[in-house]
Amino acid sequence: MDVTCEVLGGGTHELELDADATYGDVLEAVGLSTQEASVLVGDSPVPEDRRIEVDSVQVLRLIKGGATPGGT
Amino acid sequence: MQCDKCGAEAVMHAAYSGLHLCSEHFRRSVESRVRRRIRDDALLSEAATADDPETWLVGLSGGKDSVVLTHLLEGTFASDPRVELVALTVHEGIDGYRDASLEACLELTDDLDIEHEVVSYADEYGVEMDAVAEDDPEGMAPCAYCGVFRRDALSRYADEYGADKLLTGHNLDDEAQTAMMNLLSGDIAQVAKHFDASLGSFEEREVDDSPFVPRAKPLRDIPEKEVALYAHLADLPVHMAECPHASEAYRGEIQELLYGLEDDHPGTRHSIMSGYEELARLAAEAHRGGEGPRGECDRCGAPTNNEVCRKCDLVDAVGGELPGDD
Repeated sequence: MDVTCEVLGGGTHELELDADATYGDVLEAVGLSTQEASVLVGDSPVPEDRRIEVDSVQVLRLIKGGATPGGT
Repeated sequence: MQCDKCGAEAVMHAAYSGLHLCSEHFRRSVESRVRRRIRDDALLSEAATADDPETWLVGLSGGKDSVVLTHLLEGTFASDPRVELVALTVHEGIDGYRDASLEACLELTDDLDIEHEVVSYADEYGVEMDAVAEDDPEGMAPCAYCGVFRRDALSRYADEYGADKLLTGHNLDDEAQTAMMNLLSGDIAQVAKHFDASLGSFEEREVDDSPFVPRAKPLRDIPEKEVALYAHLADLPVHMAECPHASEAYRGEIQELLYGLEDDHPGTRHSIMSGYEELARLAAEAHRGGEGPRGECDRCGAPTNNEVCRKCDLVDAVGGELPGDD
C-alpha cells in the first residue's frame, strides 16, 4: 500500500508498505524509533501496533537536546 | 483499536505495560503517575501548612517537559494553600530559539495565572550562549557551559525566593540515560551525588546539611514520548524546536542504545531506573559524611570547595561579568 508520511518539522515521504503494515512500520520506514515519535491521523495519535487504515499520516517526533548535562 | 479501560478509540499503546488507552485515560494515567511520584518522594513536607507554605521553584524552559510539569503542578496544587509555585525561565541568549521558547512560557503562565520570573544569562553573567559557543575558550560542548550557568541561576533564584524545592521536568528517558552514563563511566561518587541531589525520596535523602536547594523531578516515571503526547493532547503551548547548540554526542549514543533496548525489551528503562535507584541509595549511604561543598566562593558566595566556584571560572573564561563586578 502507498502511504504519504509528513514528518512535522521534517520532510514528506512517499512510502510503499505491506498490506498488513502497522503505524509502527511507518516510523521504522522513516528511520524513527517508536520511543521517539508518534503517528498522527487527522491530528489524533494512533497506537503503533494498529494496522494502517489511511493513505496519509503525520509524524510528531521528539526534539533532541536540552537535558542538563549530568542530570543530577 | 479500543481503550482497554473504556472501549473508546485508543490513541496510544504503552508497550511496557501492554495497555491501549484513549486520550482521556492516557492523560489521567500520566497525571496519576506524577501524583504518585510526588507522594512516594514525600515532595510535600508534613511541616507545610497554610500559615507556613512551602515554596517550589519550577524551571520552565518552554519545552514540552517543563511545560507539562508546570501544567500538572498547577492543576494539582493551585488550590492547595500549603504550596506556593513560582516558575523561573532562563533566557540563555540563543538567537531565534530562546525568544520563541520564552513566548511559550509566557503564554502558559498567563493561562495558569502562576507567578513567573524571567532571568537572562546576559543580565546575570554578561554572556550569551551564541557567543560562548562560537568562542568556546575551554574546548567544551556548549551544553557543558550552559548547564553550569543554568544550574547556578536556578539555585540562586531558589535561594532568593526562599524556595524549599527546585523542580525540573526531567523524564524517564533523561534519567535512564543519566543512569547509564554514570554506570558506564564507573563514577560511583557521581551516582551517590545523583541520589542525594535529586533522585532519592525526601525521606531517604540527606538534604538538611546541604547548602543547595534540594531538587525533585516529578516527571521521572513518564517516558519522553508520553510527555510529548500529553502536551499535544492537552493542547499546551510548547516550543517545538531544537536548540541549535545541542550536541551531547555521548548522551545521543546512550539514547539510541536505550531506544533499541526498549523496542526489543519493553520496560527496560523502568528496570534500569528501579535497579539504579537502589544502587544509588547504597552508594549515597556509603559516600555520605563531609563530601559536600564546605566553603563559599570568594567572588559570588556560592557553595564550593574551591576558592572560586566553577561558574565564576567560566564567566571569566568567556569574558562575562557578574552583576556585582564593576
